[in-house]
Amino acid sequence: MHLEEFSEGKSFLHRTDPRVKILIFALFSLTCALSSGIKIPAIFLAYSFILLAIANLRTKSVFSRVLIANFFIAFIWLFIPFSYQGNPYMNLGPIKISYEGLKYALSITLKANAIIIATMALISTSSVFSLAHAMLHLKMPKKIVTIFFLFYRYITVIHEEYTKIRKAVALRGFVPKTNIHTYKTYAYIIGGMLLKSYERAEEIYRAMLCRGFKGYFPLVEHFQLRKPDIIFGIISAAVIILIGVNS
Amino acid sequence: MKAPLISLKDISFSYGDRKVLDSINLEIYEGERIGLIGSNGAGKTTLLYLIMGLLKPQKGAIEILGKGRTKEKDFIEVRQKIGFLFQDSDNQLFCPTVKEDIAFGPLNLGKTKKEAMEIVRETCKILGIEGFEDRVTYKLSGGEKRLVALATVIAMKPLCFILDEPSAGVDENNVEKIVKYLKNNAKTYLIASHDREFLKDTVEKIITLEKGKIKY
Amino acid sequence: MHISEGVLSAPVLITGAVLSLGGLTLGLKRIKNEDIPKVAILSSAFFIASLIHVPIGPTSAHLVLNGLLGMLLGWGAFPSIFVALILQGILFQFGGLTTLGVNTFSMAMPAVLSYYVFKGFLKGGKNIAFLGGFLGGVFSLLLAALFISLALIETERSFTAVAGTLLVMHIPISIIEGIITGFVVVYLKKVKPEALG
Repeated sequence: MHLEEFSEGKSFLHRTDPRVKILIFALFSLTCALSSGIKIPAIFLAYSFILLAIANLRTKSVFSRVLIANFFIAFIWLFIPFSYQGNPYMNLGPIKISYEGLKYALSITLKANAIIIATMALISTSSVFSLAHAMLHLKMPKKIVTIFFLFYRYITVIHEEYTKIRKAVALRGFVPKTNIHTYKTYAYIIGGMLLKSYERAEEIYRAMLCRGFKGYFPLVEHFQLRKPDIIFGIISAAVIILIGVNS
Repeated sequence: MKAPLISLKDISFSYGDRKVLDSINLEIYEGERIGLIGSNGAGKTTLLYLIMGLLKPQKGAIEILGKGRTKEKDFIEVRQKIGFLFQDSDNQLFCPTVKEDIAFGPLNLGKTKKEAMEIVRETCKILGIEGFEDRVTYKLSGGEKRLVALATVIAMKPLCFILDEPSAGVDENNVEKIVKYLKNNAKTYLIASHDREFLKDTVEKIITLEKGKIKY
Repeated sequence: MHISEGVLSAPVLITGAVLSLGGLTLGLKRIKNEDIPKVAILSSAFFIASLIHVPIGPTSAHLVLNGLLGMLLGWGAFPSIFVALILQGILFQFGGLTTLGVNTFSMAMPAVLSYYVFKGFLKGGKNIAFLGGFLGGVFSLLLAALFISLALIETERSFTAVAGTLLVMHIPISIIEGIITGFVVVYLKKVKPEALG
């Protein structure tokens, strides 16, 4: 499974300290999500495009991710312009479209996309493990980060097991259809995966005991805050606060 | 005569109704290099787990480093002094990177970060896997995982090794590295394996587990 | 199932965050050190299971299985769903930081409730266990959809139509979740009864 597609790169944002990126991202998400109207969200979107340009990610992949992540937004567009309580209406025969509703849907779209793009530029440019490390440094509880570490570590292992079972099932002529046989087969595949996971968890705990596990992973690596990180952090924070204050 | 490092007396173990080990006796002395063979499901892994305190016997006594071991607490010291290699490396390597995985044990034993990193460097060198430090564990090949798993055990500087199928799924080149390490650097060990060739290169004595009993 | 960023209002986001924080704290407290690998690895398995698309008529839906998760992990469902949502955010940019609370609570709370309500069924015979699994699966997914719908309506009244449609769309999916959860429970009962403990 090729999951961390965006984390492989050499741009400035790929090299920036993940702690700084997480903090800036949190500030960006909060101020952007809570802004309203068209202008401010549009400026946030523009800013996220600047970050995206710095991150220098593959345009094609970015585009397809944005498209998929907009599924929920498209759903909103199907309803809001027609159901929004506000005048004036634009009449298209029997259908009434509210300008206010259009503006509201547009505002949501701008905000959602600004944050989606900022996520790609700021968060997805770090490896999952270094983000988890950064979470520890940012004082997230050790237990939840330990669970996150192990959770991510074994996703690939379990996915491999899953593909093996799927292949074996396909080789015996299984074609998914809308019927009980299909659902039962999926249930057995999932049951098998869970069973193996229980056994694996038991073994992993044994392996941890053998090496003196005390409930968390000791940190080996420490991040080094460099000058460019600090400058990037200060400038970004200033820009975001400035946009936020203007709304 | 010196007391044995590991001594199992009259040990029995069953999974439900299935009796796997039936009144077994086994002694391992410092300097001994022993191979353990037996068919699938004969109870090799069970026997090794009992020594490490990962399973508790229904009957019998376990003495390790001259002390009786019964409770979970008694085995904390055992696990620090006896290095155990698990059958499935994926279960043993639970940290993100090779470096962190090798350092995990030493850090838990109270080593400083600097000392732990020194151990990581040394261990990689002795096994011939220099340059692996920053690699992501789940992206290693099967044979590489085996070597790194062994490295995590070596890093604890154990008095004795217990290895469960160390050569399974490992290519010749990497097997050679394991054999070389064991011959030159490890003094006492017990290896469970199906690989006769590997055992011929590494052990001096072979015992067989069959129908719940050990045959010498 | 999740709500995108930029949709919900501040009071709704804050309510979700506070409720999830409570659930997470309780969940983490209940997880003993020896249970850490179990919670983590089962979370990985559920993450993979949620990538499975099952056919329903001409279309397909992906599984959520929050009911099953709840019946196996109890309050551990909160940390489990929380880490899965964080990872989805990082890898696929689904959901995000400000909606993390609402999304976690919407899926984890029904999971925990199904633990308390339907766990007893699993100790019964094969048919009772299947029924418990089925009801737990249906209930958890529908309740999650209901929570999401409420979050939308609380934000803006004109979301009522969207929320209603969302809820109705989840009815057939929840039945399939129920069937699959029922079969998984029966499977685990046969091969690993301790899991349903």
